[in-house]
Amino acid sequence: MAGKATNLLQGTLDLLILRALMTGELHGLGVSRRVEQMTRGTFQVKPGSLFPALHRMEENGWLTSFWGESENHRKAKFYRLTKAGERQLGTETAEWQKIALAMGHALKTAKGV
Amino acid sequence: MLRGCGMVWSRVRSLWRNWFRRGGVDADLDAEVLAFVEMSAEEDAARGVTPEEARRRALAEVGGAERLKQQVREGRAGAGIESVMQDLRFGGRQVVKSPGFGLTVMATLALSIGITTAVFSVLYAMVIRPLPYQDVSRIAAMDTRSASGGPQAASYPEYVDWRKMQHSFTALAGYSPQGAVGMKSDAGAVVLNEVEGTDNFFTVFEVNPVLGRTFAAGEDEDGRNNVVVLSYEVWQQDFGGKADVVGRRVQMDGSAYTVIGVMRAGFRFPINVMNSIYVPLHLTPTQRDNRGNHWLQTVARLKPGMTARQAEADMDTIFAALGKTDMFDAGRTVHAVDLTMYVVGDTAGSLRLLLYAVLAVLVIGCVNVAGLLLARGVKREREMALRSAIGARRGRIVRQLLTEALLFAVCGAGAGVVLAYGLLRLIRMLLIASLSRGAEVQVNLPVLAAALGISVGVTVLAAMMPALRLSGTSPTMALKAGGSAGTTRGQHRLRTGFVVTQVALALALLVVSGLLLHMLEKLRTTELGFNPGQMLTAEINLPRGRYAGRDVLADFYTPLVEKVQAMPGVRAAGLIQMLPVQGWGWNSEHIHIYGTAPLKNPRTDPAEVRFVTPGYYKVFQNALVEGRLGDAAIDRPTTRLAAVVNEAFVKKFIPAGRDPVGMEIGDNDQMETLASQDNPRVLIVGVVKNIRQSIYQPPFPEMDYNIAQIPPAVSLNAIGSMHLVVRTSVAPESLVPQLQKVLHDVDATVPLREPETMMQVVADVLTFQRLENWLFGAFAGLAVLLAVVGLYGLISHEVELSTRDIGIKLALGASRGRILEGIYRRVGWMLGVGVVLGLLVTVAAEKFIGAVVAVGLAKDGLLIVALAVGLMGVGLLAAAVPARRASGVEPMEALREE
Repeated sequence: MAGKATNLLQGTLDLLILRALMTGELHGLGVSRRVEQMTRGTFQVKPGSLFPALHRMEENGWLTSFWGESENHRKAKFYRLTKAGERQLGTETAEWQKIALAMGHALKTAKGV
Repeated sequence: MLRGCGMVWSRVRSLWRNWFRRGGVDADLDAEVLAFVEMSAEEDAARGVTPEEARRRALAEVGGAERLKQQVREGRAGAGIESVMQDLRFGGRQVVKSPGFGLTVMATLALSIGITTAVFSVLYAMVIRPLPYQDVSRIAAMDTRSASGGPQAASYPEYVDWRKMQHSFTALAGYSPQGAVGMKSDAGAVVLNEVEGTDNFFTVFEVNPVLGRTFAAGEDEDGRNNVVVLSYEVWQQDFGGKADVVGRRVQMDGSAYTVIGVMRAGFRFPINVMNSIYVPLHLTPTQRDNRGNHWLQTVARLKPGMTARQAEADMDTIFAALGKTDMFDAGRTVHAVDLTMYVVGDTAGSLRLLLYAVLAVLVIGCVNVAGLLLARGVKREREMALRSAIGARRGRIVRQLLTEALLFAVCGAGAGVVLAYGLLRLIRMLLIASLSRGAEVQVNLPVLAAALGISVGVTVLAAMMPALRLSGTSPTMALKAGGSAGTTRGQHRLRTGFVVTQVALALALLVVSGLLLHMLEKLRTTELGFNPGQMLTAEINLPRGRYAGRDVLADFYTPLVEKVQAMPGVRAAGLIQMLPVQGWGWNSEHIHIYGTAPLKNPRTDPAEVRFVTPGYYKVFQNALVEGRLGDAAIDRPTTRLAAVVNEAFVKKFIPAGRDPVGMEIGDNDQMETLASQDNPRVLIVGVVKNIRQSIYQPPFPEMDYNIAQIPPAVSLNAIGSMHLVVRTSVAPESLVPQLQKVLHDVDATVPLREPETMMQVVADVLTFQRLENWLFGAFAGLAVLLAVVGLYGLISHEVELSTRDIGIKLALGASRGRILEGIYRRVGWMLGVGVVLGLLVTVAAEKFIGAVVAVGLAKDGLLIVALAVGLMGVGLLAAAVPARRASGVEPMEALREE
């Protein structure tokens, strides 16, 4: 049971990160803040999950990274979606919408009964 | 598809980067995390938090930079390999740090695997591997016995009757190994071993030839029998494996033969005859007609559904029926011996004993390794607990232990394989041909795999124990437990069990090897009746075709002996048809001394018969007790038969107080050879000392005829095969080339075997005993060594674990003497139980041991007690060092240490 929940969460985290980067390149903290913003504070991504996820996704070829300068002129590592990452975002979004729809139905029906 | 490729490529690139630019990647990560912390702190600071507080918060959020890095690393490609390498490095450091432990484990593994495999391979080749014949269990070697119970082959007329009258066999075949024969063909001249057989010889084995055919029915008749079947090895070595060999003409003994077939690879019968060729029987007139001339060995295939016992009963009926008219068949018995038993023979018991010894060594080795690893595991239990407490996952700990264990196992196993091959080469060199299948010994791969599997398995299992045990306890418990590490009752019992097992097995091996060495010593010091130093012997087989009808004495032996005697370095030379120590059983069963009461059953008292030249006595330095020796000048084929008898003969046949010289013997069995005179009474002319015919049995009664009395007409038959014996004044080996040259000069067509020193002959007879003792000595030594190492390890571990208890006891006022006494008492108790068990094992194994060496508790009791006491002593000695260390402990230190 625990394993399944983690998988779901990990999938969610990947999707959120991909989505956060859809609008442009961001550094780690930027990704974290953007996710927080997008989910209206529901999800706060701690560095302990954020960095492993970023590195893993980079290894999967969904992201590329480069060193750049932050808004405060600080050297920081930025991430950007690759073509593969965009495709992945497409598939995962579709997947998630399907799930969300199904879950919504399921919960509604359950309420009705 | 393309996408998949892209994925793979990106993973490969990451793997590359992670591995070969690990430093760079880690520095990168450092910078990234640092940037994150600082930016995060800046944000907070912007919201009015003090810089210090902002930084603390940011760091807390990261949750420890090192931990974060580890998390990222673990998610990275190649993380598995990296941590395995880390474990390997750690394992390697452990070995280097305490080389004693690692080397002990590896050496134990190597010795156990190497010795087990090498010895088992020998056993497999000799005992277990099936013989190269079809359906071997249906083949019986016919061990035919005379009425006196001694082995007696068939005569040809007997064989013909048996074959006609039997109902039990699909085939009853006769065969007779003929020794060396020279063969000439287009391919050149070679010396091969000839086996003659009846026409149904191959039917018994049901083995088909790879080329051509085997003997046809009736092909053992004169005129049709000049055909030859080659063994595979001869075909390969001497005919280049060419397919057109069938139909080729070859010359043997001056006659032309036709090659009719080639046997399958591996086919040999008798199994110890190498480079063999098979020829149908060639009977001399006496062989064909004489019922008393027993020379034809028999082997048979049982009819389906027929048992060996039924076949024996069938044969008994035949003997009884024939016995009514023929004295040779009366009272005969036969034992249809399972062919495997027959071939493996007397060595089966000894080899089986060796097998158990091998297993015992493997068990000791495994127990040892397990004991060492478990002991170390207990010591490391707290290290493991600590690792787990600071966040190592269980899988990670298990993997580390596994890597270390595999490091030991692989190194030990590798050395073991090398040792196995080396040892086998050594054993093969020692084996010589006296063991029937010795030449084919090869490393037995399944056994090597099994030995590897067992020992590696035990190693890994034992190494993993602490990690597996850890699952049951929480780290805090293990850490808190302190002095209780490894002192649970189950562990204590396991360790005691290890010590006891080792002592028991080591003692059993020691007792057996002690007894064997004792026996060998007795055999070595057996009074042979001669000094085998400075003696050479050469076996001579005269080609029958070339010497048929000739006087072999005048044409070959006399000139040969004269030439050999003239060689520098030769003191004396002589001839005898059966070499002392090596062969016996050429005997007369119908001895009667004229003027004495006839023996009750003369056939149970055979006398060995030898044909010799006077030189034989000189070579063997046999002293004349009284009378004279045979003399070619006096004893001629036409003069009165004269015999020289040995002291055993006098003791057996001559009534006490009578002078044997001048008495007369009736020797019906040899009359066919010797009775060209009118007077069949053999005059005893002299008495000589005993010379051992067999090394294992007391001297047999023996009567020697001078070969000068054999009529030339039958001489080839009686003395066509002889042993030349030479006493030298120089090192005997140095005369070998010269001796070969002399033999060649006398007649180049006589096939030559390499001359041997008499020392070699004696050694060959004792080879198996030597091998056995050598192996057992090695085993016992190894077992004791392993046991001592194991005892030392286990006992010192035991003592180490109780260091805290000892500290408390000392603190409470116990004297050091009391502490020592307690340790020795516990160790002594374990050793005692082990010794008792070991003796029980020895007694239980007596059945197998008895096949090799008689165990008499009364006779060897002292030896056994001495060995047991010795082993106890060694065990206590192993306890001495750790015990002293423990009792020398400072109480405060001991308590603090835990």
